[in-house]
Amino acid sequence: MKLRLSSSCAVLAYTLLVVVPLWLAIDRVIWVAGFNPSDWINSLNGNYISQGVVAFTFLQALLSTVVTLAIGLPIAWQLGRYKWPLQSLIKATLTMPFVMPSIVAAMGFLHLIGPSGLNIRIDDTTWFATLIIAHAWFNLALVIRFCEPVLSTLDPNLEEQMRLLPAGHSKIGRIRNLWAPLLAPSVAAAACMTFVFSFTSFALVRWITLGDNTLESVMANIGSSAGIPNYMLARNEIILGASLIQFTVLLASLWLMSRLQQRRQNLLPQASEITVKRVNRSGWMILAPAVIFALSPLIAVFWASFRIRHTDSTGTSYSWETSGWEFAFAGSSSMSSAWDALWNSLGYAMITLCIALPLGWTLAQTILDVEKERPRTARFLDVLTMIPFAASSVMIGLGVMLGMIRINAEFFYSFWPTPVIAHVMITTPFVVRIMLPALRSLNPIYDECAQTLGIPAWRRFVSIRLPLLRGSILVAVIFTLAMSLGEFGASWVVTRNSDWTTLPIMIDSLRSIPYNNTYTAPAACAVSSLLMGITLLLFTWAEKFRPARDGGMF
Amino acid sequence: MFSDFDLELKPGEIIAITGPSGCGKTTLLRCICGLEKLDSGNIYLNDEDITNLPAEKRGVGLIFQSPVLFPHLSVEGNLLLGNKNGEISKALEEVGLSEFENRRVESISGGEGQRVALARALLAQPKVLLLDEPFSSLDDELSGKLVQDVRAILKQRKCPAVLVTHNRIIAEKFADSVISL
Repeated sequence: MKLRLSSSCAVLAYTLLVVVPLWLAIDRVIWVAGFNPSDWINSLNGNYISQGVVAFTFLQALLSTVVTLAIGLPIAWQLGRYKWPLQSLIKATLTMPFVMPSIVAAMGFLHLIGPSGLNIRIDDTTWFATLIIAHAWFNLALVIRFCEPVLSTLDPNLEEQMRLLPAGHSKIGRIRNLWAPLLAPSVAAAACMTFVFSFTSFALVRWITLGDNTLESVMANIGSSAGIPNYMLARNEIILGASLIQFTVLLASLWLMSRLQQRRQNLLPQASEITVKRVNRSGWMILAPAVIFALSPLIAVFWASFRIRHTDSTGTSYSWETSGWEFAFAGSSSMSSAWDALWNSLGYAMITLCIALPLGWTLAQTILDVEKERPRTARFLDVLTMIPFAASSVMIGLGVMLGMIRINAEFFYSFWPTPVIAHVMITTPFVVRIMLPALRSLNPIYDECAQTLGIPAWRRFVSIRLPLLRGSILVAVIFTLAMSLGEFGASWVVTRNSDWTTLPIMIDSLRSIPYNNTYTAPAACAVSSLLMGITLLLFTWAEKFRPARDGGMF
Repeated sequence: MFSDFDLELKPGEIIAITGPSGCGKTTLLRCICGLEKLDSGNIYLNDEDITNLPAEKRGVGLIFQSPVLFPHLSVEGNLLLGNKNGEISKALEEVGLSEFENRRVESISGGEGQRVALARALLAQPKVLLLDEPFSSLDDELSGKLVQDVRAILKQRKCPAVLVTHNRIIAEKFADSVISL
């Protein structure tokens, strides 16, 4: 089948955008370290920097997945099956953590368990448990987003029919014969994505653990010394080994996720948006703690931004002031102000949106066009669009950085929009994941009817397609902006040697300053609060437009 | 699906095509209006070969089995899609739905929806109108009334039409002649 020109261009552009930086990074590092995959893998366990990293990465990702599902499924059940006052607000609160910048979450959990919070920073076990819970906090949204639509929009006739059949007389029977088969693809898809995000976690690992590393954080820590001939060769091998393992594992997860999501979309019977739900007062025992859980780290961050520690000869005391905020916004000769970081962040986000939205939409449309006649090719394209999930954001940042050095270091290091390359790579997959289910659910009969009315293609797009997809488009816009604003891993690598501070980078920089400066920690929380506030605003706005049946992930 | 199939429609003529489910009635209509491609053969409209023209350029209208009304538009908005300069009130009056302009599409019944779809299709001034079992989702009384009304409108406008239905009785009431597949 022939692809439209726009589709071919989009696929080509995206392939270049994603493959070229990764290729440049890998090519450079292979050139330094040599091509010997077994040496790469062996160096991971052989070198003190990376010993135990593989096992730790898998362990924390698997545990995070299990805990996330254990917490998320009961919540999704309550939200999907029963009627709640302020339902949209509750859902927004519970799914909001996913769009929160990981650095903000890291600050939140640090303060929650630190001296100014629960004060339970005891040992490695505490750190590890905190990391797992932080991952669950983040990825709860995935379980809710995947599973709740199935539960809330299922045709009530199906359940009623099941109750009348012998197989469905008992609750266990109904779970086994109706809910489990219907929910299994959604649960599995949520598990895959939770695993992927936990596997590539960076900011949380960097700030919550006591020196433990995942593959991602190891690559970030030693990435700056990669690609230099005859310099720290072992580090190049470690990076290659880590990338190989990470890429393989994540690609397999994403392939599975793509299959599950397609199967899930086919499995979902035509559902009713108008279903009568019952009230379940006892469900508050699940939802209320969940809401508190979702809000606690964010409240902790905001709280800590006003709490200033004073240490003198008499001891340590605390006061409530706005000095942290003033410090953040004042800036200094050695650090940009929060204003500069904000303008940079907003600028990058807007440019990213202008590129990622049309690109992601066209890719989603291409997948849809292809999957009717060539489902395998469509799945390949689908997985291609998810490669940035499989390639760590740090690797993406490395690729962009090494690409810059190779093409024209001076130009790119002085070109303000350079970090946008990494932002587009990271946000485009989200656009695809939002638009693809929306396009799949758009009834083709509307376009056919418009054709029979003599309406030309451009007018059909503007008058029919855009309005019908309005909700999903707005969600994609808002999500892209939120993801770009909060992007940390790739930006950390790309902007480290430049003056283009973004809000997440500023938070990290402030937090990295030695603790003897009274205002840096509160300032980090102040900037976190600012970023959190913007994200919250965007996200609340997105919830107004999200289609009820949307089970597309975000 | 079809071979050695010739169909000719005279100006102002209404024909009905009947046949069992799955015999290709809907596919035939979709080929005529351009929503499906022909493997072989030609379609002529007023002596012009429209076989390779896209659907929006053929001037052929289609009424679908269920009313296809755009949910984000009111009744008036839907009609304007047929003809942005059209006389909406007159079109609605013609189909017996005066003062329906500002109604939301989700608030109107199936029969009313088909009337709106007909008004919209006629506003586009099609050279021929195709109807794909538009009465099948309505009850007998309503469909009977609609059959009479739609036939009267088409005859008044001298608009040639092809109705596809599995209901022989409706076919004989609506059309000048009936073809069985």
